[in-house]
Amino acid sequence: MKSKVIIRFFVRLAAFSVVLIAADRLAGFALKKIYFNQHVGQFSQTTYAIDSACQDLMIFGSSRAVRHYSPTIISKGTGISCYDSGRDGLMIPYSAAIEEVSLARHLPKFIILDITPRELGIDKSKYEKLDILLPYCEEHPQFLKYIKEVSEFETEKLFSKTYPYNSSAFILANNSLFSKSIEKDDNGYLPLHGFMTKPEMDDYIKRMNNRAKKIRKKIEIPETKAVNYFKRFLSDAAKYKIKTMVIISPTILNNSFYLDNQTIERDLIGKITSEYPNVTLLDFSTDPRFNYHPEKFNDVFHLNKRGSEEFSAIVAQHIKANL
Amino acid sequence: MLFNSIDFVFFYIIVTTLYFVVPHKLKWVILLAASCYFYMAFVPIYILILGFTIVIDYFAGIYIENEHNPRRRKMLLAASLAANVGILIFFKYFNFLNLNVNILCNKFNYHNPIPYLSILLPIGLSFHTFQAMSYTIEVYRGKQKAEKHFGIYSLYVMFYPQLVAGPIERPQNILPQLHKKHEFNYDLMQSGLKMMLWGFFKKLVIADRLSIFVNSVYNNPDMHNGTTIVIASFFFAIQIYCDFSGYTDIAIGCARTMGFDLMKNFDRPYFASNIQDFWRRWHISLSTWFRDYVYFPLGGSKGSRSRTCFNLFVIFLLSGIWHGANYTYVIWGMLHGLYSVIYIVIKPYLRKTPSNKVAATLMRMGNIALTLSFVTFAWIFFRAATIHDAFTLIHNLKSFGAAPFIGDGISNFAQSVLGILLLFVLEYKIEYHPDQFNFFSSPNIVVRWGALVFTILWIIVFGVFNGSQFIYFQF
Repeated sequence: MKSKVIIRFFVRLAAFSVVLIAADRLAGFALKKIYFNQHVGQFSQTTYAIDSACQDLMIFGSSRAVRHYSPTIISKGTGISCYDSGRDGLMIPYSAAIEEVSLARHLPKFIILDITPRELGIDKSKYEKLDILLPYCEEHPQFLKYIKEVSEFETEKLFSKTYPYNSSAFILANNSLFSKSIEKDDNGYLPLHGFMTKPEMDDYIKRMNNRAKKIRKKIEIPETKAVNYFKRFLSDAAKYKIKTMVIISPTILNNSFYLDNQTIERDLIGKITSEYPNVTLLDFSTDPRFNYHPEKFNDVFHLNKRGSEEFSAIVAQHIKANL
Repeated sequence: MLFNSIDFVFFYIIVTTLYFVVPHKLKWVILLAASCYFYMAFVPIYILILGFTIVIDYFAGIYIENEHNPRRRKMLLAASLAANVGILIFFKYFNFLNLNVNILCNKFNYHNPIPYLSILLPIGLSFHTFQAMSYTIEVYRGKQKAEKHFGIYSLYVMFYPQLVAGPIERPQNILPQLHKKHEFNYDLMQSGLKMMLWGFFKKLVIADRLSIFVNSVYNNPDMHNGTTIVIASFFFAIQIYCDFSGYTDIAIGCARTMGFDLMKNFDRPYFASNIQDFWRRWHISLSTWFRDYVYFPLGGSKGSRSRTCFNLFVIFLLSGIWHGANYTYVIWGMLHGLYSVIYIVIKPYLRKTPSNKVAATLMRMGNIALTLSFVTFAWIFFRAATIHDAFTLIHNLKSFGAAPFIGDGISNFAQSVLGILLLFVLEYKIEYHPDQFNFFSSPNIVVRWGALVFTILWIIVFGVFNGSQFIYFQF
C-alpha cells in the first residue's frame, strides 16, 4: 500500500515535470521571438551591439555612455561612423563582455570606454546585472564565463528556457505594444531632455557635503575583480592595436568623486591606462565648462541633450587629434 | 543555508528522501544531522552555542521535573532562563549596551575600559532561544513532561525548517510529533509542496522585487521626497510581510511534507481592522509567546485599565528589543505599545459596527486603511538603519505630493505594483472567499496543474534570483 502511494506520487511528479518543462520551452520560445524582434529600446540596442554593429568607432560604458555621446555629432566631427553600445546601470564587466564578443566579429578603428571611478569599487550589483546577457548565451557561449559572476548556479539555471528573459517581460511588452511611443535611439545614443535647476543643484551639493562628512573615514578599496575586468577590456583593445580612449565624462560638481571618497579608484584608472600605449585617458570631472552648470544636466549623474551635444563635440575633437 | 538557494533544493530532496527511507528509530538522526548541516552552512562555529543551550535546557528540564522543592524548582528554572538570556544578551546586545555605557561615560569624562566585541550575531538566535525557553517554562509549569531523549530534545530546538526564523514552537506541539512515526503521506506531501511554492512566490516575486526599490530609498534617506518615502514605506510593509510569511510558508510546507504540523504564524495581517487585530495576525508565534510568558505573568488584562496598558506597553517594548540591538527597534516596539494603549483607552468610545451592510463594509475598509497606515508609519523605524535616518525620512515626508522617484526604470516599479496587486487579490480571496477559486486544489487536473505550472513560470519570469537573505534571519 505504502509503496503504491510512493509510486503514484513519483509517476505524477514525473508527468508534472514533463508538462512543466514543455510549458517552459513553449514560453521560452515565445519570449525569445519577442525579445529578438525588438526594434526599439535597450534590448534591441544590446542585440545590435553584439550581433550587427560594424562602425569604425565603438562606445562602451554604462548609462553615462548611452546619454553622453551623440554618434551623429562624433561622426560629423571625426568623419568616421560611430555606435554607442553603452547600457543603463551596467558597468565594467558588461563593457568587457560586449567588447570581447563584438571584437570577435568586427574590429573598429577606435574605442571609447566611459567609466566612473566607482565602477572599480566594491559593488556586487555590477555582477548581478550581467544577467542581462542571458538571452545571448545560446548563440555566444563566450558570455557563459561572465554569467557565472551572477551566481554560482547561473549556468545551470539556463536549463529553463524562460529564465533568460527573467524580469524582462514588462519591457518586452511595452516595447512591442507601444513601440511608436518609445524614443528611437540615434546609433545607440538616447539623450535626456530635462534639466536641473540651481536650487536642485544647491540641494545636491548640501547632501553630498553631508555624505562626505559621514564617509570621511571610510577607505574605499578597489575591487580586484573589477580592476581585472578593466585591464581585460584594455588588453583586448591593445591585442588588436585599436586606439582607445578612456573617458571620465563630466559631473555636475567639481571632482564629485572626491566627495564620494573615490580618489583611490580614480588614481588607479590613471595608473592602469598609462600602462597601455594605445590608451588615452580624458578626465572631464573637473571641467569648468560643465561643473556647476545645472542647465547642462538632466539629473545629478547625467548630462542632458544640450550638455551631451556640447560634450560630444569636444570628444570628437580629441578623437580627431588621436586618429 | 537559505531556502531561496539551489543548495537548499538539493538539500531538501536528499533529506526528505532519506527521512522516508530510513526506519523510524533512525529518522531523528537524519533530521538532527540535516539540521546541524543546515545551521552550520551559515557560521559553523555557532553550532557550539546552540549545543550549549541545548545541554543546559535538556538537563534543566529533567531536574525541574524531578525536583519537588518549589524554591529549588524556581532556582533551576531561573538558572536555565539566565543561561539562555545571558547568551542572547552577550551575542546580541553586548556591543549595544557597551555603546550606551560609552556615551554615558563620555558625559562624565570617564573612559570606559570595556572594548567592543567583533562577533557576528548567530543566525536566528532570538528564535531558538525563545523556543528553548518555552520548553523549560512549560516543564516548570507542569504542562509538559521533560524530554528524556537527548536527540529528540535537540531536534526540538534545532528542527531545520523552523530553526532560524520560526515559527517559535511550543513543546506540546512539536515534541509528540518528533516521537510519532511518520509514513509517506501523498496528501501531506502535495499540500506541503504547494505551500512551499506559495512561500517562494511571496519571497521571490514580491518581497525581493520590492526590496530593490525600498533599498534604493532607505539606503539614501536624505535623497528622496515625501511621495517616494510614502511609496517606499508602503512597499516595505508588503516586503517584510511577504519575506517573513514567505519564509514561514516554506518552513511549514517543508515540515508538512515530512508529516509535521507547525503552528500558523500569519493570518493576513494587513486585513486587520485595529492594532489588536493586527497583532493577532502578525508573527503569531512571537505574539503568543510574549502573551503566555510575559503578559499573563504580569497580570494580563485582569487588573485595572492602567495596569493592562502598562503590561501591554511592556510586551511591545520587549518585542522591539527582541528584534535587535538598535534604538530603531525600540521605538518601533514603543510605537506599537502606544498604538495598543491608545486603542484600549478609546475602544469603549468607538462606534459599533453599523447594521447597514454597505456602511459596515465602508467602516471596515476605513479601519483597515487606518491600521495599515499606523503600522506602515512604525515600519519606517524598523527599516531605517539609524534613528537619524528614520527622522530624516519622517522630516522629508512634508514634501508629499512631489513627483516620486521610481528607481532603476519603470519595469521594476511596475513589477512591484503588479506583485502587490496579485497578493491583494489572493489574500482577499482567502480572507473573504476561502472556499472559492482554489485552483491549486481543484478536482480538475487541468486547472490544478495549469495553476501550478503558471505559478512556477510566473516565478521564473518575474522572480528575483539574487539569493537575498530573509529579513528575519538577522534576529
